[in-house]
Amino acid sequence: MADPASSPGGSGAGGETPPVDVVSLTVNGRAIEAPKGTMLVDAAKAAGIEIPIFCYEPRLGAPIGACRMCLVEVEGMRGLQTACSTPVAPDMVVSTESELAKDAQDGVLELLLANHPLDCPVCDKGGECPLQDRTFRFGPGQTRTVEPKLHFPKPLDLSPLVALDRERCIACYRCVRFSQEVAEDGQLTFQERGDHVEIATFSGDPYEGRFTGNTIDLCPVGALTSNPYRFVSRPWDIKNTPSVCAGCSVGCNLEATERDNEVKRLTGRPEPNFAVEEGWICDRGRWGYPALRSDERITGPVLVDAVGRRTVLLDRAVNEAAGMLGRRELRVAVLLGEPITVEAGFLATEFATRAGNGEAMVRRMGIPGHGLDPLRALPGAQMDDLDRADAIVVLGGDPCAQQPVAELRLRKALRRGARVAMAGPRPTALDPSCQVTRTTPGHLQDALPIVAELIGAAERPIVMWDEADLAAEPDAAAALAALIEDHPATRAIELACDVSGPGLRALGVATAEDMLAALEAGEVDVLLTIQADPTTGPEGARWSRAIDGVPRIIEMSTYRSGVTDRADLVLPLLTALEDEGVLVSMTGRAQRLRPAARECADAASAWELLIALTHRLGRPVPDRTPAQAFSRLAAEHAAFAGLDYGELGTTGAVIAQGRGAGAGGPAARRNPAGDGLLVIPCRPVFGDATAHRSDALASVVEPTRVGLAPAEAERLGVRTEARVRITTPHGEAVLPLEVDSRLHEGAAYLFTGDPHAGAAALLPMDGGPVRAAVGVAQREQVEA
Amino acid sequence: MTVAELEEHLAPIRHEYADPRSLILPALRYVQGEAGWLPPHAMAAVAEATGFSQAYVESVATFYDRLYIDEVGRYCINVCVTLSCMLRGSDELFEHIADYLGLDGEGTTADGMFTLARVQCIGACDRAPCLQVDSGVQLGPLEPADATCLIDDLRAEPAPARYDR
Repeated sequence: MADPASSPGGSGAGGETPPVDVVSLTVNGRAIEAPKGTMLVDAAKAAGIEIPIFCYEPRLGAPIGACRMCLVEVEGMRGLQTACSTPVAPDMVVSTESELAKDAQDGVLELLLANHPLDCPVCDKGGECPLQDRTFRFGPGQTRTVEPKLHFPKPLDLSPLVALDRERCIACYRCVRFSQEVAEDGQLTFQERGDHVEIATFSGDPYEGRFTGNTIDLCPVGALTSNPYRFVSRPWDIKNTPSVCAGCSVGCNLEATERDNEVKRLTGRPEPNFAVEEGWICDRGRWGYPALRSDERITGPVLVDAVGRRTVLLDRAVNEAAGMLGRRELRVAVLLGEPITVEAGFLATEFATRAGNGEAMVRRMGIPGHGLDPLRALPGAQMDDLDRADAIVVLGGDPCAQQPVAELRLRKALRRGARVAMAGPRPTALDPSCQVTRTTPGHLQDALPIVAELIGAAERPIVMWDEADLAAEPDAAAALAALIEDHPATRAIELACDVSGPGLRALGVATAEDMLAALEAGEVDVLLTIQADPTTGPEGARWSRAIDGVPRIIEMSTYRSGVTDRADLVLPLLTALEDEGVLVSMTGRAQRLRPAARECADAASAWELLIALTHRLGRPVPDRTPAQAFSRLAAEHAAFAGLDYGELGTTGAVIAQGRGAGAGGPAARRNPAGDGLLVIPCRPVFGDATAHRSDALASVVEPTRVGLAPAEAERLGVRTEARVRITTPHGEAVLPLEVDSRLHEGAAYLFTGDPHAGAAALLPMDGGPVRAAVGVAQREQVEA
Repeated sequence: MTVAELEEHLAPIRHEYADPRSLILPALRYVQGEAGWLPPHAMAAVAEATGFSQAYVESVATFYDRLYIDEVGRYCINVCVTLSCMLRGSDELFEHIADYLGLDGEGTTADGMFTLARVQCIGACDRAPCLQVDSGVQLGPLEPADATCLIDDLRAEPAPARYDR
């Protein structure tokens, strides 16, 4: 496993590392050097000498020396030392190959295998198993054990997602330490410690959490395996591709496993990106891939014309699209959704000058964020800067639900003793552990004194601010920006709501309010949507009516949407896991997607289709690949200046500060009409469209629902209702009700995500505040 | 057992445990006194009173043979089967008790009165073969007939107000 000491430093400011003392020592007769404080195992690894390990994993905290695999001989020290917990010392003479050390390696492996079933041929881990590898390389080759081995019924479902095979466990404590010390869910422990030791949860309850799958990546044997991946493939039949998760704006690096042209598994990277996710990924990211094969996937191009509705070949479909877009008098509009790579976004803007009258409007879905520019202009930070911050304030949002991996960084900061404060209207999973300021809905500015106090007293403070919440309160955004400017050491991280937003914003693509007005005014002849379904987004009903009036609609999309049935032409798109290009994370990190598989033969990438269309329109762009498009957009857009597609490598690079302008100047705070409850939109990624489409996540998916405080539910007379009707000026929906005592009175918490539930359509386009009436759902609505 | 009761019991001894983890053991023993074993709600109470996760409390409990995760009888009869006792006839003693209780080896009687178990050395080799009822004094040396009397006596006793094991 990678060593944090060798990880790239934070790219944001505040990451200067102090000079380190270097220690010289000898390992296996070779003189090596290592920074003071390095553990022997890492010093040796850096010098190319492998000391076998199982339990050692620096990301889990201080070494515990549980497995004894790393025993080495150190001259002058009595007995053998565990290299994982012995720091280097000047003039230390170490042998990993002496007779005593070899004997210890043999002995430890023989004992670890004493009860191990050696069922490698039927084990999912076989072929990519550290126990197997180290047994071959360092083990005795044969066993002297004649006694019967311990047997347990197998496998046991630790949860619907994680399977436990107890007899394979070597009690290395990695999963237990992850549960206790990283995720801090406290659920996994060792029971019956001794010769019958086994991993267990309290009373056999399922292991529930948002990060449970990381225990599978951590397990150095086949004890913890993924249920959805069980018996799906052998390591020699698969291809692993490093890519990036498009589930939320964090941009976690992950590895996609392909077999038979299907994505069969996602894991954390074996070499983590320490500036982003540190190798931890959330379960939504890990098990979202079955959505690629969901019923809602569009599998072939569909043409609707005088003949009827029928599937056509992709080539024909592109020709048809060119035909619909070519006439010089046409007014074309292009609407971008998510995920959209920056190359696709850039090619869309290029396409806009070539289609129709050459002045097509290109807009993106997402929050306009008038008034966020001053915040976005502040010096940014990367996720690993959180490891060095002494005070962190989260203002608005709920990173635990919306940017899950951020929760692990915040927990790490708390363990380190940093001050962490969460301020906003939503309860979060971190509330029991940190300083909490629950603001009245719509009054985020009430938390500013807390921000001032924390960053005033700190040397390296970081403020994480939520895009949606501060967009709704531009006055609070302006005050926060001014406050941070007064404390120049402060760095800011935007908790962005949309995966493509940061990249498209850097390209200068504005949000779509004026497009909606243009559609309504009949000023658009052809609408091209790319991964965009405005009918289920904010003001969805208004979009639906507007779209109905557009003469021609072309949809490019992975999944069926509210646009699909109205479109004259549907072009299937590949998913982010099958696509190539660059996504920009919320911290401004440009990272490359690499195609892991191509599950749908008749689907294409947005960039491919846009290039093909410019050719058919007779005005081709010069690019043939995302790499070429990227080099051109880097030359044209200041935010990407100096970046090279190839050099982005597997861990990416940060785009320029300021990261492009929003849609306009600061807008005044809008007072929502009516006297209903203020709506607090919540966008949990465990309840997003992909989570609803992935059958693997059925046991953990968060329902799209309305949350009310008990007293509020009582007052509205819906305390005992299973479902309620919620009405805003933008529409109405019947949604499940959740009564939660942690919620504020006077507010309706609207948990969005399921595109079929119609929840997000109740929100306003400008991302501003809105009020809702909540009441009893009439019977026929429930049945409907 | 409510959490408040448990906390009241722990309050005067809390300061004796520098490492808060150590408090889990006296807490577990105390709650075991009520039902004679540790049903999940009892471990949950310990978790709440000590500030550790339920899973961690259970992991501690499972390490100790005399902290019972599964329901046991009113009396736990632990027959020593380590060397001295074995040489002096613990096998016969155990078999006799099992027969008398109508058990096939270790287990709990149908009426819930007795749980019979083989245990390792209980520190009374000079009185081999010996056994221990709950945390009482080790009894031995025992002839099978002595064990019969002991069981009859125990049957006649009223149920204890609290269990001490």
